[in-house]
Amino acid sequence: MMPTAQHERNDQVEADRSSDTRARPTVLELRHVTCAYEAGRPAITDISFSVREGEILCLLGPSGCGKTTTLRVVAGFEPVISGEVHLEGKLVSSPGLLIPTEQRRTGMVFQEYALFPHLRVVDNIAFGLQHLPQNQRAAHVCTMLELIGLTGLERRYPHELSGGQQQRVALARALVQKPVILLLDEPFSNLDPDMTGKMRQDLHDLLTRTNTTAILVTHDHDEAFAMADRVAVLNNGCLEQFDTPEAIYHTPSTPFVADFVGQADFIPGVVENGKVLTEIGEFPNQVGYQGGAKVVVMIRPDDVHIVPAENCTARILARQFRGSENLYTIGLPSGHVVHSSEASTSVYPIGTPVELQVIATHIVLFEQETVSRANT
Amino acid sequence: MATVARQTFPTTLSVAALLVAGFLCLPLAYVSYLALSAGPSVWSRLWETRIPELLSNTVSLALSVSAGTLLLGVSLAWLVVRYEFFGRRVWEWALVLPLAMPTYVLAYVYTYVLSVGGPVEQAWKLWWGSEGRVFSPYSFAGATLVMTLDTFPFVYLLSRAALMNFNVSFQEVARACGASRLSTFLRVTLPLIRPAIVAGLSLVILYAVSDFGAVSLLRYQTLTYAVYQQITGRYDHAAASVLSLLLVFLALLFLLAERWFRQRSRFYQTTGRYRAPARKSCGPLGIVLITAYFALVLGAAFGMPALLLMQWSIAAVTEGAVDARFLGFVWNSALLSGLAATIAVLIGTPLAYLASRWPSRLNLLSLQAAYAGYALPGPVGALALLVLFSHLAPFWYGTVVVLIIAYIVHFLPAGLQTLEPALQQVTPNLEEAARSLGLGTLRALRQVTLPLVRGGFIAAWVLMFLQSMKELPATLLLRPVGFDTLAVRVWLEASEEYYQLAAPSALLIVIMTLPALLLLVSKDWRAA
Repeated sequence: MMPTAQHERNDQVEADRSSDTRARPTVLELRHVTCAYEAGRPAITDISFSVREGEILCLLGPSGCGKTTTLRVVAGFEPVISGEVHLEGKLVSSPGLLIPTEQRRTGMVFQEYALFPHLRVVDNIAFGLQHLPQNQRAAHVCTMLELIGLTGLERRYPHELSGGQQQRVALARALVQKPVILLLDEPFSNLDPDMTGKMRQDLHDLLTRTNTTAILVTHDHDEAFAMADRVAVLNNGCLEQFDTPEAIYHTPSTPFVADFVGQADFIPGVVENGKVLTEIGEFPNQVGYQGGAKVVVMIRPDDVHIVPAENCTARILARQFRGSENLYTIGLPSGHVVHSSEASTSVYPIGTPVELQVIATHIVLFEQETVSRANT
Repeated sequence: MATVARQTFPTTLSVAALLVAGFLCLPLAYVSYLALSAGPSVWSRLWETRIPELLSNTVSLALSVSAGTLLLGVSLAWLVVRYEFFGRRVWEWALVLPLAMPTYVLAYVYTYVLSVGGPVEQAWKLWWGSEGRVFSPYSFAGATLVMTLDTFPFVYLLSRAALMNFNVSFQEVARACGASRLSTFLRVTLPLIRPAIVAGLSLVILYAVSDFGAVSLLRYQTLTYAVYQQITGRYDHAAASVLSLLLVFLALLFLLAERWFRQRSRFYQTTGRYRAPARKSCGPLGIVLITAYFALVLGAAFGMPALLLMQWSIAAVTEGAVDARFLGFVWNSALLSGLAATIAVLIGTPLAYLASRWPSRLNLLSLQAAYAGYALPGPVGALALLVLFSHLAPFWYGTVVVLIIAYIVHFLPAGLQTLEPALQQVTPNLEEAARSLGLGTLRALRQVTLPLVRGGFIAAWVLMFLQSMKELPATLLLRPVGFDTLAVRVWLEASEEYYQLAAPSALLIVIMTLPALLLLVSKDWRAA
């Protein structure tokens, strides 16, 4: 094993990884990309985002939202019908232009890993190193095996490995080529749920240590929040929001995002005298809607606290015990419901009248129209 | 005492099965015995005169046919799986049709097509104006052409299934690793479908090595043809058995290869999530080229021969060739094949049942022994039975009994392959569930077991019936005097170049084979 120039650079970059990533050069940029498998039915529409060096980006959305298509566009498996894709400043995709995958230097890890069943672990990892002489190839593979902690298994065939080991080999095969960007399609969906927590941590460490720029596709917001520097939420082929995990959670830009990344309730209200009036109280008019405007207030359960009180109209409809918390469903006189997250030990019987205490600073306002449109 | 019943019942049956299996093995064992006791003089004489030529002819035919079927089978499968073009679904099905043509039928059509002054020569003159001789059908090239056109569907079917089961992620990940299209094909796609291709090729080679019909009509000297000649022309059973042993050895080699590679291809099957490859749509030029290619191959292998057969049959019918005699041949064929298929199903069922329900070493051995007939090309099995019966039971010699035994020995393995999975569906639990619901043993058998296995039984019967009906060399050697079948008539008339007289029998065989072929293929289709 010999330290390559790449690795020395990696070590150095690792040192200042925690520093502001905004200063880093952009590796990938999508500009207004539209892609369609069938004419007239685009799978993704007008998608724009960029990824900086060393950054981990998550494409998050429900199944069929176009996140895998976006990944395949970046990899060069699918042509675009409008827009441009730039990789390391070079135009690689535009209408009529499709630089083939093999010239893009994008690493790819498939959902089912796609390890070549006829090749041993070593040969799988060395697959993309054909241009190197034998001894260098072996050295690279050796380094990789050490990195993923599978030294000793190099002579095995893929079917002789566990799911987690297969995933690591697939990662190694992609990483060993020092890809410009690593693309991961739902990398944890084929693993046992109790393994994913550890695998997530390991993957994050590995990507950080190798300073790998990566795009990770997932439908699980917990996974996205745990892994990503920034998250792009997709819905129906459109980019809903592109921001840090914290911003996505606390200040979702659309009701869809609010609902998709966590439990959220939407309570209608009206703007009056610079305040938003709802049946659960008054809220500041943060966005500055005009007086009389009909709005909707998004509240998360962790911002709602309940206290039993005799003369209140809100009542507990259901309690769900979740181990670390109790999630209460509260019915309001109007028929709307809100959820409240209480301590694991606060147990109230169903039907108890409660008073709601809402932390007003965390709420998000939407126009009522956008919510009803999103719901239909 | 259910447990006692369980143990004693199969033991008696096992012994019976072992006896049957032993009987089925007898021809193979006897040929080996004859060959090994032939004496060194016979061996050395054959080694100095016939064997080098025969061996090289047989092996080179096998090689050239595998090269041809490899090229045709893989390219056709690739086009059908990876491209979208007008009429694809029809072509996809139609490409298995050549399997309905027995080799001797195709060979006989080609002796006409490529004959001196035949259609190909005339077309050549018409286009190029010059005297043209493409090649004689009575040659290595002729035999290669006929065998290739007749057997490429084996390679086509197996590589098609492999390509359809191929997970595209493998290709995409190879591209993402920087491999070009060509390098991806060579380093990933080809190695992954190689077991399927090799399994197909082994079948083709087994077919080519043991074929008698085509090589005899095209007068191309292979081991099979030589065995037949030794029996009929020289009455030299010792020499025939020596050549037979060589032939069996060759056949066995490819049979084992096929089995081994088929198992490997199962191992290579992708597990878990799988994405089917997207078909590329073709431009107008692509459609024209592909259609032309498909039409050429299928036209040569099935379309043109079928048309010629029909034309000749019509001529033969108007001349009154389809008379009581002809109906007699049809009756002979049907009777023989029907008897053989029925007895084979009756014998095969306990063998397959025992092996799947009580897979003891003894029962499995019986089943494997029953497969011995696979390695016995027609003339070889016939030779063994001929000598056996003339020694042991001369009063049966020259009766249909010997012929039916020959069919069973030869075709039971194919039937067993269909019976086995059908019987494996029947688990003891099903019968026990029926019994627990209040059905008696007999009713459970009738209402649960039989409906489950009926399909498999019918398929096995049809398969063995058709194989027996098409069978040529053993029938030629063992039939009672004057007892001709359809297959024998085709061969006899075709040998004399009575093209029209041979046509009605040949056409009838092809037509009867078609529905069963489609049935069997459609099962494969769904599995793939």
